[in-house]
Amino acid sequence: MKMDEHMDEHNVRQIRDALRQSFPPVNTDLGRDLWPEILRRVDAHKVSVPWYDWVLVGLSAAMFLVFPRLVLVFAYHL
Amino acid sequence: MDLLHRFALGEIDAFETLVRQFQGEIYAWTVRIVRDPGTAEDLTAETLWRIYRARHRFRPDGNFGAWARRIATNLALDYLRRARPEQSLDTDPAGSVPPDRLVEREMREKIQQAFRRLPPKLQIVATLALVEEVPYDEIAAALGTSVGAVKLRVFRAVRILRKRLTQAGIKP
Repeated sequence: MKMDEHMDEHNVRQIRDALRQSFPPVNTDLGRDLWPEILRRVDAHKVSVPWYDWVLVGLSAAMFLVFPRLVLVFAYHL
Repeated sequence: MDLLHRFALGEIDAFETLVRQFQGEIYAWTVRIVRDPGTAEDLTAETLWRIYRARHRFRPDGNFGAWARRIATNLALDYLRRARPEQSLDTDPAGSVPPDRLVEREMREKIQQAFRRLPPKLQIVATLALVEEVPYDEIAAALGTSVGAVKLRVFRAVRILRKRLTQAGIKP
């Protein structure tokens, strides 16, 4: 068991050294401010409701006022 | 009201403050995994965007940095899954390398190729633990797993790499 552990540690050390030689260190400094890009995405994502959706909501409300029992039909189909 | 509460409520000023505070840290974490500055920038922007979209799920008494790092890690993992295994990071044209360094370069490329063929879950753990020397508990937190699972993945990655490098004629 101890022999296995020793072998594993030895393997890890060897592979770690090989990897470090193959992968040079990377520069971890961010070169630019990302906020303007994020803000553009936030602005583009803001939901705008088109006029015809408001018309549809108005018509539905009017229909339910005139025919209140339609609510039950809709509820059944939901 | 503190910054994290205001962020969770969707205040854009609070989000801007957090972006400016954490973008460097998220980038540094991501570039250590993907090892390509351009890709890391894109992934950092995507991470920040996902953070904004998930703001309602964030608990203001939690650790924002750890939460952000976890999202960044998941995105980096998705990237590694999509990335082509044969992709090489070494961009020097062969002609510009002196002949005595060609053997060394070839060996480095073989190691990189063997590494990139690892399953992404092993690749990410091996990069962080072996190349970057990130402590196991930090890796476990970023991956949402246990320290034991991270150790197991490191050992699996090492065994696979050792086998593949031996097959490729390289004795690590």
